[in-house]
Amino acid sequence: MDPDKFNTLRKGFLEFLILSIVSSGRVYVADLMQRLSKTDFATQEGTLYPLLSKMRREQLLDYEWQESDTGPPRKYYKLAATGRKQLAEFREYWKSLTGLIEELGKPS
Amino acid sequence: MKTVINVSLSGHPKTFQLEEDAYKALQAYLDRARARLSRDPDHEEVLRDLEQSIGEKLGKSLRGDDRVVSRKEVEVVLEEIGAVNTGNGEAAAETTPFDRPRRFCRIDEGKWFFGVCQGLSAYSDIAVEWVRVIFIIGTFFTGGALILVYLLLAFVLPQVRDRREYDASLRTRAGTA
Repeated sequence: MDPDKFNTLRKGFLEFLILSIVSSGRVYVADLMQRLSKTDFATQEGTLYPLLSKMRREQLLDYEWQESDTGPPRKYYKLAATGRKQLAEFREYWKSLTGLIEELGKPS
Repeated sequence: MKTVINVSLSGHPKTFQLEEDAYKALQAYLDRARARLSRDPDHEEVLRDLEQSIGEKLGKSLRGDDRVVSRKEVEVVLEEIGAVNTGNGEAAAETTPFDRPRRFCRIDEGKWFFGVCQGLSAYSDIAVEWVRVIFIIGTFFTGGALILVYLLLAFVLPQVRDRREYDASLRTRAGTA
């Protein structure tokens, strides 16, 4: 496998995976990292924070501050309306894409 | 004797005591992050997020102790957080103010006399007001000799219309270099 090719793919998918995780309920950055850590999409804060800030700018996500017992207040992210819509579109597209790959892979 | 530097990190009420080396490592990371985020409209917020994360991890590493943080500990935390990655060709955005292309010239836009101070401001990234203050004070201290320097610069420096033209001229120079 050519790792570079897959890296490009992964980069593009990370955003949708984040949308997907956030859709399951409000999450804190450490939760996000933990959910991703066991997958092929493990990532670090240095990548995550700029991406989350971009996604918030695009109104895909929103956050609210919440007090924490162990330190300063934390940002909890949740899905915004545009994000919900985009995630639904992505899921649709993903389904049609896997269908297409299966379909084209069959000997004709 | 070892120098210890008190550092406060965004969102954390407590100050961290860092060894000088540890402080330098942290400063270098944040400077690099700032440079890489230079095109991000929310860069201040992202930097605050990063600082908060660094503080949280340092706090964990100290486990409530009130001791000095070593360079090694800071490095472990920074390693965990990873370099800032904006995902869109940060190599280009990484030109720090020190190694960006620059040239001496006069800039007409906003000039008082010949635009020499505007030009110096664009060259040095120092606000033009400061350049003027330095010039005026310098003129007093040198008994007016700086005025001659000003006039000489006004005579020899090439002239551009505004900052946009200045930036454009840098790009063409970088392109042909």
